[in-house]
Amino acid sequence: MATARSASLSTKRRSDSALVVCLAGNPNVGKSTLFNRLTGAAVETANYPGMTVGLNIAAARWGGREVQLVDLPGTYALDPVSEDQWVARHGLLDWQPDVVIAVVDATNLARNLYLVLQLVDLGPRVVIALNLIDEARRQSLRIDPRALSQALGLPVVPTVARRGEGLDELTAAAAAVAAGSNGLGHGRAVRYSARIEAQVAGLEEQFADGPAALPEGLPPRAAALALLEGDEELVAAFGEAGQTAAAAGRTSLAVPIAAARHAAAAAIAEACTEGRASAPAADRWWAATTSPITGVPILLAVLASVFAFLFFVGGRLSELLTSLWMATASPLLGSAVHGLFGYGAVAGTLLWGLDGGILAALAVGIPYILTFYFALALLEDSGYMNAAAFLADRVMHLFGLHGRAVIPLMAAAGCNVPAIMGTRVLSTRRERTIACALVVLVPCSARTAVILGSVSLFVGWQWALLVFGVVGLVGLVAGLALNRILPGEPEGLVMEMFPFRRPSLRLVVRKTWKRFGTFLWAAAPIMLLGSFALGALYETGLIWHLSRPLEPVVVGWLGLPAVAGLTLLLSVLRKELALQMLVVFAVARYGVAAHDLRTFMTPHQIVVYALVATIFIPCIATIAMLVRELGWRRSAAISAGTVGAALLVGGAVAHLLPLI
Amino acid sequence: MSLQSESREEYLEAIFKLNQQSEGATVGRVAEDLGLAAPSVSQMVARLAREGLVERDPASRILLTPGGRRKALRLVRRHRLSERFLTDYLDLPWDQVHDEACKFEHVLSDEVEERLAAHLGNPQTCPHGRAIPSADGELPDEAARPLAELSAGQKSTISFVSDEQPDLLRYLSSLGLLPQTAVSVEDVAPFGGPLLVRVGRARYALGREVGGKIFVRV
Repeated sequence: MATARSASLSTKRRSDSALVVCLAGNPNVGKSTLFNRLTGAAVETANYPGMTVGLNIAAARWGGREVQLVDLPGTYALDPVSEDQWVARHGLLDWQPDVVIAVVDATNLARNLYLVLQLVDLGPRVVIALNLIDEARRQSLRIDPRALSQALGLPVVPTVARRGEGLDELTAAAAAVAAGSNGLGHGRAVRYSARIEAQVAGLEEQFADGPAALPEGLPPRAAALALLEGDEELVAAFGEAGQTAAAAGRTSLAVPIAAARHAAAAAIAEACTEGRASAPAADRWWAATTSPITGVPILLAVLASVFAFLFFVGGRLSELLTSLWMATASPLLGSAVHGLFGYGAVAGTLLWGLDGGILAALAVGIPYILTFYFALALLEDSGYMNAAAFLADRVMHLFGLHGRAVIPLMAAAGCNVPAIMGTRVLSTRRERTIACALVVLVPCSARTAVILGSVSLFVGWQWALLVFGVVGLVGLVAGLALNRILPGEPEGLVMEMFPFRRPSLRLVVRKTWKRFGTFLWAAAPIMLLGSFALGALYETGLIWHLSRPLEPVVVGWLGLPAVAGLTLLLSVLRKELALQMLVVFAVARYGVAAHDLRTFMTPHQIVVYALVATIFIPCIATIAMLVRELGWRRSAAISAGTVGAALLVGGAVAHLLPLI
Repeated sequence: MSLQSESREEYLEAIFKLNQQSEGATVGRVAEDLGLAAPSVSQMVARLAREGLVERDPASRILLTPGGRRKALRLVRRHRLSERFLTDYLDLPWDQVHDEACKFEHVLSDEVEERLAAHLGNPQTCPHGRAIPSADGELPDEAARPLAELSAGQKSTISFVSDEQPDLLRYLSSLGLLPQTAVSVEDVAPFGGPLLVRVGRARYALGREVGGKIFVRV
């Protein structure tokens, strides 16, 4: 399983024989593209405990030499003030790379060089990949790699990672720097103001006198600067000396140091760049997608297209996979199982699990999730996602979230499981808890099918809309309430708005496939297990015994027939079966005519049934994913909360409807 | 301290605050701010004018004299230091400290004020991000406004960034949102949504609360 593998993977350097190369760079500069180009398909992810951002690690061979590539998270700097920066910094210190490839965006050199100068301050050997050089050319920016190399004191290789240009030169330069002990790749450090340099010198002297080794193997200058910038971890490691240095520096020196680096970066960028940047054509698009008047209609149109894509392509795919399965594997499986185990309860259970379980995954899970991941990757790589997050920020704020949460909430309409994984775009645990709770309340395709197949079909579409409305209201109340109840405050939004880029189909497919694989490993086993459990309960007849203890709630409070309660309970295993099971059980109890729900349920009962089935905890795969992302306690609380809300709303509606 | 001098201080503070806004301080607005009737405000303003603390301009706006301004700034300093104390040491939420600080500010002696500032690490801003005047009555860049108050299309230069959240300050610094940097607002999402700003060749979406901590000059 992918998760187990990543959990056991060490975040530290493992091999002394292989060359260790770290990739560092700002977000969205083509760093991951470069990583994919330089490595094969087998990518592992290492996570620090409690961190949602991981390090991607893959092997490669450069001229016969074994190489381990570590892709650090995309960051603007290496101060441990945010999760991604913390991981990037620790990845760098823990892996002790032989060389760091710093990927910089040629179209925004000044901002990108900040990270490079910080790397130089930190100490590792660095090679620059001057990426997106083609895009810079299109914006009539000409950057002189030789001048840049001279100014930084580092090798600079122009690259176009998307098309694989310049990669051989890059790996050659990196290998040379890694091999050379002549100081190549150490770069020219920024000279800070006299006041700062005096403090640095003082601290360096102090380190030379002190018996203790510098933590994390930092060179003295790097450690001194980090202390003056108020690096809390380092301050703690240094004890009292750290406290004094930090007290002197703290925020009062962090800003001047950052300002000096920015000034140096801007000066270097200016000196190495010729030509004034013409505003890219994408800028006009930008204005349209973020200005409220045109942006909101565009957002709605994009959302509508995603849903349409999901339902049409996903629906077609679902039909295709279902008919393929029914025509090929299903009969084969049936005869094999019956041949081996006869027609008893064992054979029945196996068929529920293997035939029914896989069919459900093919019909409900896979098609919608695959198409959704594709649409998501397309939107992300085009750069539109940030515009959506910008526009949605205000609404998300009501729930203590920020704009980026709109992505997983949209994903939830397909399937809750990947949506919960998607809450990783949020940075704090508080935000992720709220987002997960809301995701769970968004009707996924399976629950939408239950609502449409029961209420819409037998009662009327207006009533189905009412059910969706009530569920939406529950989500709204839950979001507002959680924002009030949970301790802490919402994080402020600080997000770079990337320029639009034409997405590369190859990369989109690769991203889709990678995410889909993670989903499959995490969810499929649980879906199958659920199907087996359901089959065993049904085939052994144990299922009917579960009905009695539920009666006070189901019959007394919700006013539903006892069989309905049973199917609600069991739908935790597979939500989309809530309706199918209801029909099966009703036929078993009331006879063949019961395939029409109206023969044994009133319209009001059908509405209440659909409401309860939709609101309470989606399914066992969702719970498993919640546990993985939030831990047991919060998952249990969210699950219990949805059950409470379902009973409350279901009961209230059951008692109110007859009065209208 | 007598009740009368306390109320005199309140007046000076209110006039100072209103003068920082574009409409300026008038009798009506002072009355509104302090929750008092206009005639009694009028009377008090006349008295403050006799004491040489305020003067009226031709448009009958109330202005502070240098002496009045010194007194007002002293009070603003005590108020904002008290707010910092209440949030940083007593863990009161920042949106609740204003009223409490209104009481604190009148009872601080010079010495307590000095010690308080030292203990708090001589903060530059109050929990709401407003600059704290220095002990000798200097207010760093009074004209600076929160970036969040700008509208789409406005260009500005960052004056300072509130230091109440050191991590945020450092994060913004690493992005290049630093004092003396030019920043222009390209779009403002409606209903208190985020701002879209351009810094150099990069664009950032900043939530309103973040934009409220960056102070700029237009």
